[in-house]
Amino acid sequence: MPTITNAHNDLIHDAVLDYYGKRLATCSSDKTIKIFEVEGENHKLVETLSGHEGPIWRVDWAHPKFGTILASCSYDGKVLIWKEENGKWAQIAVHAVHSASVNSVQWAPHEYGALILAASSDGKVSVVEFKDNGTTAPVVIEAHAIGVNAASWAPSVMPEGGVSNQTRRFVTGGADNLVKVWKYNSESQSVTLEDTLEGHTDWVRDVAWSPSVLLRCYIATVSQDRTCIIWSKEEKDDKWTKTLLQNEKFPDVLWRASWSLSGNILALSGGDNKVTLWKEDLEGKWEPAGEVQE
Amino acid sequence: MVKLAEYSRTATFAWSHGKIPSLVTGTASGTVDANFSSESSLELWSLLSADASKPDASLAVDAKFNDLDWSQDNKILAGALDNGAVELFSNPKDSLKFEASFRSHSKSAKTVRFNAKQCNILASSGTQGEIFIWDLNTCLKNPDYKPLTPGSSMNSIDEITSLAWNQCLAHVFASAGSSAYASIWDLKAKKEVIHLSYSSPETGLKSQLSVVEWHPKNSTRVATATGSDTDPLILVWDLRNANTPLQTLSKGHSKGILSLDWCSEDENLLLSSGRDNTIVLWNPESGEELTQYPTRGNWCFKTKFAPDAPDLFASASFDNKIQVQTLQNLVTTLDQEQSVTKQQESETDFWNHVSQEESDVKPTVLRMQAPSWYENKSPAAHWAFGGKLVCITANGLGVSITKPKLPGLEDNALLDE
Repeated sequence: MPTITNAHNDLIHDAVLDYYGKRLATCSSDKTIKIFEVEGENHKLVETLSGHEGPIWRVDWAHPKFGTILASCSYDGKVLIWKEENGKWAQIAVHAVHSASVNSVQWAPHEYGALILAASSDGKVSVVEFKDNGTTAPVVIEAHAIGVNAASWAPSVMPEGGVSNQTRRFVTGGADNLVKVWKYNSESQSVTLEDTLEGHTDWVRDVAWSPSVLLRCYIATVSQDRTCIIWSKEEKDDKWTKTLLQNEKFPDVLWRASWSLSGNILALSGGDNKVTLWKEDLEGKWEPAGEVQE
Repeated sequence: MVKLAEYSRTATFAWSHGKIPSLVTGTASGTVDANFSSESSLELWSLLSADASKPDASLAVDAKFNDLDWSQDNKILAGALDNGAVELFSNPKDSLKFEASFRSHSKSAKTVRFNAKQCNILASSGTQGEIFIWDLNTCLKNPDYKPLTPGSSMNSIDEITSLAWNQCLAHVFASAGSSAYASIWDLKAKKEVIHLSYSSPETGLKSQLSVVEWHPKNSTRVATATGSDTDPLILVWDLRNANTPLQTLSKGHSKGILSLDWCSEDENLLLSSGRDNTIVLWNPESGEELTQYPTRGNWCFKTKFAPDAPDLFASASFDNKIQVQTLQNLVTTLDQEQSVTKQQESETDFWNHVSQEESDVKPTVLRMQAPSWYENKSPAAHWAFGGKLVCITANGLGVSITKPKLPGLEDNALLDE
């Protein structure tokens, strides 16, 4: 498994493998995005993308059915969309509806179309759809009073090509210590608040909706208060149950949470550079599931 | 949020400490407001209230305010009144309650500041070099409490309009005012221990050091600002070499500076505002100007970050306005669309509503610098297909892709390449 040293000359904030595990995108405070080809142990830098005017916080690959497309968000308040066509990368769209840092960007489940969800320190969240004729129809809503730090789509439970009346949800985490679950209605282009989940006592730094479609849906939220909370509920219940991942606090601020694509293993990233893995036992308690050696 | 709130008051203010801060305002002394009323009131405003024109609580006060401060535990509010009184209030369950009043300053009380380390210690200042140190634990129980004085000063100091407690040492504070000196006091030594003065290279004259604020983490670093309109400078000093400033922040203001605030969460951010009606965000380390905020209708006499929500700051100006805004207020595609439609407006329409038009002039960003509370240094681990985990390396400059061994989930030979 490769290790790429000195990929950037300033802090890297996000690194994401594409669907096939062949391409790695990294973004950094040096205002560039780098695309690497990775194969077994070796790696090759294929492109450096400039265009953002501030540190770039996150990147996200679109589903391959839309082409080789990457979204990036930055402190400059913009979401840029990049596309590779016959070997050449170019910026194909700018989404600039936010008046402050855009802290997270994520493509919707591909069944919904080419849709992205952006969360910004201007307190708003925006959903924008890239239609075939290139027009974008952004829906912008006020989500958290002082700023939104992260937003994550719920997985689509609809079978491939099924009718699309199934409710589309996403979760947001804010600088008001709150976690909110929203319903997005693509016909009426509207977003309504479904639940407000209280529990954290400091900034919610990341929220992650588990992509595994199980009997229960799971949301992991991590915060500046050094705790991780797992919110879960079955489709039929209306109340989310709240479980602290572990009772004592983590040694440092927890910055990111990521669910494995199968097996529902949760990876937490702490400010102490530690990555811890967790899985649910049969009684619904969460236990460590291996360690990542640095 | 663009402009979070705007309160039509000519008043000084203080932020509460907390993630969702509230603001308390006190009618500013030395101004006559629209209806010439001499009433003075202390008002409590919450950012989330639907109607920003009405305070959540209001309390009549018998004199106008020169300054206000809120203790770190949000329990006590201290006001410096222009009748010389230092008054203490509390805010049980979002109301306002009078606690005590001490007519201790001979003429007018100019400023009050809670100690950064101990929330029961308060300093107040007035004219003729009066500085008093209060212990709230005793003064709240004893109506004829006499505050302490910090000891002797090097030479006579006139009016003191700026006080700032050292952010690391509870027994050290700084004072500045109408004289050409800023003083550093040590309560243990019971005297003024250091004297800062600066003669500007152009004029050779001593410039007036009238505002002082401490570095949030470094106990020997302090910033001063010149209140006079001739070469308004912000100087950053390291007290270990108190005769020449470390850094000079110039050309940001064209008139005297009335207020400074060094961000408690990021020492590379400093706000200043003054008589040129503008507010400037600086990087005091590099001396660079980062952002210039839209000019106000009159002098901007107080500008403060919200201590625990530093993306927000409030600023008060003598045009009957206190504005709460965010550090960033970037131009968006919606603004561009609005300005396009505005240009196609008929002349009559334009002049009809030009006066009520809420001028949404945007701040000019000179250098885009992300505050430290955005920099999230962590492995940012990301799962990928095939049980791969992508992590950023410890130094933050590299990336590693691993396949963690998960107990109970044996490797599947087929899956592995």
